[in-house]
Amino acid sequence: MKPMLSTDLNAPDATVEKAKIEVKNLNFYYGQSKALKDINLSLPERSVTAFIGPSGCGKSTLLRVLNRIYELYPKQSAEGQVLLDGKNILDRSQDLNLLRTKIGMVFQKPTPFPMSIYENIAFGVRLYEKISKAEMDSRVEQALKRAALWSEVKDKLNASGLSLSGGQQQRLCIARTVAVKPEVILLDEPASALDPLSTAKIEELIDELQADYTIVIVTHNMQQAARVSRQTAFMYLGELVEFDRTEKIFTSPREKRTQDYITGRFG
Amino acid sequence: MAEHTVASFDEDLRQISRLINDMGDLAGSMVGGATRALLETDNALAQRVVSDDAIMDARQRELDDRAITLIAKRQPMADDLRHVVGSIRMAGDLERIGDLAKNIAKRVGSVGVSAAPRDLTHSIDSMAQMVLIQVQAVIQEYTAGDATALAKLRNDDERIDVKYTSVFRELLTYMMEDPRNITACTHLLFCAKNLERIGDHVTNIAENAYYVLTGTQLPANRPKQDETAMAAPAA
Repeated sequence: MKPMLSTDLNAPDATVEKAKIEVKNLNFYYGQSKALKDINLSLPERSVTAFIGPSGCGKSTLLRVLNRIYELYPKQSAEGQVLLDGKNILDRSQDLNLLRTKIGMVFQKPTPFPMSIYENIAFGVRLYEKISKAEMDSRVEQALKRAALWSEVKDKLNASGLSLSGGQQQRLCIARTVAVKPEVILLDEPASALDPLSTAKIEELIDELQADYTIVIVTHNMQQAARVSRQTAFMYLGELVEFDRTEKIFTSPREKRTQDYITGRFG
Repeated sequence: MAEHTVASFDEDLRQISRLINDMGDLAGSMVGGATRALLETDNALAQRVVSDDAIMDARQRELDDRAITLIAKRQPMADDLRHVVGSIRMAGDLERIGDLAKNIAKRVGSVGVSAAPRDLTHSIDSMAQMVLIQVQAVIQEYTAGDATALAKLRNDDERIDVKYTSVFRELLTYMMEDPRNITACTHLLFCAKNLERIGDHVTNIAENAYYVLTGTQLPANRPKQDETAMAAPAA
């Protein structure tokens, strides 16, 4: 049986479970400017972790370090360690393509490719695997089912991904991510451009996906963080201020800065 | 505590605090009034306590409405959330204190006609004073934000329980001494029990207030000293 988090709200440590990702002494720079300052945290396997904090606090930067997507841009650098199953992914020898099959990412704005719904999913799978048409059909169906989109699109798989609604497009992006069988899913404000009903569907989906994946979500919506995550990290000015079980953060945080932020007393 | 960015949020929270304070004041005046009416056989005062209970009920309904609306509108978090939920619970206890004070006030007529001698009510008087001090202190300490005082206040209820046990035994003795005392003493016994229950509600309020202020619960194992079950004669 999976070990549970302690139910004692006053227990100091957020995690008693096996860590999927461990961040150790991480610093991050945009040119000369230090955006992350000595971050240490441990993300438990098969559970949802939320990063919250005001704009510019470094939460999206931290997310972007976890799959090294920052390397697409010049003058950005990270030092320290990010261990995925104990192996440092910041190491030069790390194969980036392999890393990104293991760690999928979904962005704030839905980003379907300008191709059919079917191809949106098959495209990524084909980059890494040679499988038969029948196997691909099954993979696409499974991914769409996993993303709770299958029943809405099964009769129009050849329609353009762009013809879907915003909420459906976002679920298509999640399906695309899931199809390459990642171990970790990073979600950067996945529901902030969506209406409440689509948001609820995404949250329900996150809840289901955590049985199989380690999920990290960045969100400005604190109620959303409270609803979907099991542990929450509050960041401020590039520092990790507090990391604890979500119930603890939202009912009695230890740090005054956390309390001020989540109760709306900042600035 | 710093102000919220949204100023009307602060005002909403202040209104809830104000209602808790009002209810605390009213509870103190009802308990004080009810016991004075009982000890001095003052029917007019008793009547006022009975009608004050309607005000207490109305305050609680208003607080409930405001708290529910605040939760719906503001989705409070952390200390704000504890404040709102804690206020709902404390208001429930204050409303019950009002009911119990009313209950005491309603007995004034019955005890009065049986012409209870002064010494029958003497120990009730000192018990009532202990309870009244607790009722008045609990909201004061909460408003002052003094968690340590609240923890102590909660433990002080033990003394009320001990006192209740002794009042119980004393009234039992009076009844055995002279059966003509039975009617008055039975009513007084109910009054003593009501006072003891008021003490328990103060304990609940102190526990809630402590949680609101600190975010942690007081340990569950407060000693209980009501021994009247043992003092009661075997059936």
